[in-house]
Amino acid sequence: MPSRDEEEGARSHVTRPGALRRLTRPGAGDRQEGLLLGLVAAFVLLFCLLPLLRLFAEVFAAGPAEGLEIARDLLDNRFARQAVINTLEAGLLSTLVSVLLGAGLALAIGLTDLRAKALLTFLALMPLLIPAQIAALAWLELIGPSSFLWQLPGLDYPAGSRNPLYGREGVVILMGVEHAPMVFLTVRAGLRALPDELIEAARAAGARPLRLTFGILLPLLRPALLAGAALAFVSAIGNFGVPALLGIPGRYTMLTTFIYQRLNGFGPSVLGEVALLAALLALFAAVGLAVQAAAGRRGKLSLERGGRVLQPFPLGAGRWRLEAAVWSLLILTGVLPLLALLNSSIAQALGVAVTLETATLRHYADVIANQVTARAFVNSTLLAALAALSCVLVSIPLAYLAVVRRRALARLLTLVSDAPYALPGIVLSIACILLYLRPLPLLEISLYGSFWILAVAYLGRFLALALRPAISGVEQLDPRLEEAAQIAGARGWRRLRDIVLPLAAPPAAAGGMLVFMAAFNELTVSALLWSAGSETLGVVIFALYDEGNSNAAAAVSVLTVIVTLAIAAAATAFVRWTKMPRGVLPWQT
Amino acid sequence: MRKTLLAAALCATLGSAPAAAQNGELMLYTSQPQDLLVQMIEVFNETHPEIEVSFFRSGTTEVMNKLEAEFAAGDPQPDVLLVANSLVMTGLKNDGRLLPYPEAPTEAYDSAIMDPDGAFVGTKLITTGIVYNTELVSEPPTSWADLTDARFENQVIMPSPLYSGAAALHVGTMTAHESFGWDYYEALADNGAIAGRGNGSVLEAVATGQNAVGIIVEFMAFNAKAEGSPVDFAFPSEGVTAITEPAAILSTAENPVAAEIFIDWLLSEAGQRFSAEQGYLPALPGAPTPSTFPDEVELEIIAVEPGTLIANDEEMKKSFANLFGG
Repeated sequence: MPSRDEEEGARSHVTRPGALRRLTRPGAGDRQEGLLLGLVAAFVLLFCLLPLLRLFAEVFAAGPAEGLEIARDLLDNRFARQAVINTLEAGLLSTLVSVLLGAGLALAIGLTDLRAKALLTFLALMPLLIPAQIAALAWLELIGPSSFLWQLPGLDYPAGSRNPLYGREGVVILMGVEHAPMVFLTVRAGLRALPDELIEAARAAGARPLRLTFGILLPLLRPALLAGAALAFVSAIGNFGVPALLGIPGRYTMLTTFIYQRLNGFGPSVLGEVALLAALLALFAAVGLAVQAAAGRRGKLSLERGGRVLQPFPLGAGRWRLEAAVWSLLILTGVLPLLALLNSSIAQALGVAVTLETATLRHYADVIANQVTARAFVNSTLLAALAALSCVLVSIPLAYLAVVRRRALARLLTLVSDAPYALPGIVLSIACILLYLRPLPLLEISLYGSFWILAVAYLGRFLALALRPAISGVEQLDPRLEEAAQIAGARGWRRLRDIVLPLAAPPAAAGGMLVFMAAFNELTVSALLWSAGSETLGVVIFALYDEGNSNAAAAVSVLTVIVTLAIAAAATAFVRWTKMPRGVLPWQT
Repeated sequence: MRKTLLAAALCATLGSAPAAAQNGELMLYTSQPQDLLVQMIEVFNETHPEIEVSFFRSGTTEVMNKLEAEFAAGDPQPDVLLVANSLVMTGLKNDGRLLPYPEAPTEAYDSAIMDPDGAFVGTKLITTGIVYNTELVSEPPTSWADLTDARFENQVIMPSPLYSGAAALHVGTMTAHESFGWDYYEALADNGAIAGRGNGSVLEAVATGQNAVGIIVEFMAFNAKAEGSPVDFAFPSEGVTAITEPAAILSTAENPVAAEIFIDWLLSEAGQRFSAEQGYLPALPGAPTPSTFPDEVELEIIAVEPGTLIANDEEMKKSFANLFGG
């Protein structure tokens, strides 16, 4: 409730904007603001920066001689070498697949008058909602010999042939599909920013649609394409679920799986070595992120020139052809794998075809009755809720201090908080193991081997995901409102509570739902950090598959996907209901 | 019941610190498949409802690494260890990590499956042989040598010793044995054999027809066959390797009393009969053979001196990784 004074302050400010500038200059914060900044900084430093510093300390602490020794040993190991080569190869090739798929779909949906665009967009973004290990499992089921696909007339599984998804091609294609939505999103955003006048001029000059697309639009979209490709690349080299389920059996090892295998096969004695590999992986990711940042800056320029929104090309009588192609592709990538997963979850046993007589719900009954899977549901829910809540609570003041108050430290903190999310998850896990393997000094409490190491890692990992919507929420905030409150004497807490919070909270809450979804499905970080009693859903699915119980793994996956889709639907409804600007949720561009 | 389950879940979740010392809680680290483990705990709780069993389950190697890290951190969690092979147990015993339990009811058991000082005792016999897909293989393999045959080119999958304790013992034994050696594994690699992760990954690949044949622990294959999967198991003519799934109490156990009760039950006739019901070959002489097994099984065990296995372990894993990538 704004007081009378505040209202008057606001009015006077509106009437005489310039006169009060000196009172509101940045940096004139009071002690409360300083305290707030301190708290936020402590959170970011503790959860985002410290683990990464510890990792680099490990790499450099060995001393130059010993470090070189480890590096030389690694280079001598042809599997380590191969893992580096494979990581770059699969990263680049799958990026190519993502660009073709994502950009193709974005152009088809964004440029033409296809029908049911909302549904098509949703299907195109499905891979974002489905975590990599579930997608990999679903594709294995779809292409595998027990798939319902081979019961269709005219289709036969080539008997005795290995699942073609095992190995390089499978890893590349599946990661390409998984990360295509990132390219889709950047290219769609790029398309939105293109001025219609340009197209009209080209059309007036007689350019046909194809010429227009390839001669004019694509060159203009280059920054968006590059930014999307860089994101896809960084995601690909950090992916664990796909190379773990498809690459390990296919003897195609990437850095993430190599690190995982080394650590599981040889234990903490190889920590120094895997820390070096993790740092190398972080370096590759940093290059990708730098490209993305550079491309993003170039993209911004064209965005500001934006005139009228692009009018869709009429496809005319041939529209159904493109529609058929797009629908087939999206059903193949977004729907069929899930059906295969469903099919496997109701199969009697491994390798038994599902028919009306053999279909069974016993795997669902089993996983619900099983204390481990039940606990994993509880754990993942608790972890996701904890991460979502904490990240939202930190992201609002951080966004406020960085964007409205323009505090230099806060702006720096937003950059720091990006790192654990942008870098491959396995880098963060290794960093957390190094940091928390031994009991905390002074407190003598050991986080390693408990639920809390996961919680700590998740807090660092997902802050960036909550921060982005919070920043976009705070950016909508009219700075005059806040200045007015300040003039009226409202101090830090008060302004934050009465002015910033009501406006920034809804987008931040939507960000919280994103964090919840991502954390609920998390595997990469958990895979190295879980312990007895702290199993997460990602770990349980992975382990069940490993034990040869893929029917049960499919059942847990189906339940997880249902929860994820429900949260996505709730977030969408929430964003509509609060009339938030578009772009808060990634699938709502 | 529901309430206690949830409470237990929350308790286990929110760190073991507050309630770990409470009487009647038992932490088990094991490599047994999860569903069988959960069943076993249920049956155990029928006679011992006062003991609440929690567990960490993964491949033996991962279990051991977890434990090593906990030793390093100075806070080992488990009371009881129930893992694939006695080699890791011997290693732990030599490091003084185990609490001997010579009073365990082992009178009826073969002394070969237990530690002379009572530090650990085998609870069942698990042999490693060959699984094949009955729809894809018309002429089943009968020997280890068959797996290097051209007709199974690119068709063989095996568990990795970097992950599975049974596989570690199997590869260690085969490579140290004069009739096989690393030559045999090089021949497998040349024939396009691949390494999965645990035995489960082998069953998965063979039952769903992605690989025609695999190297696997027998009970998994027989259990899957009983459930209707198109697989069968062959005991190779040269013999099988065997592990005993030993149980041991950690010297740092917080609840050694419950640990002894648990081990007593594992070795009891009821516990052994239940093992057989789950498809495991019981270690207790005279206990029934699982119904999933063929009527007549004559086991010839391929074995080498345990000291050799322990000495070669690290090198074996590295060589295997170099041949099969994991």
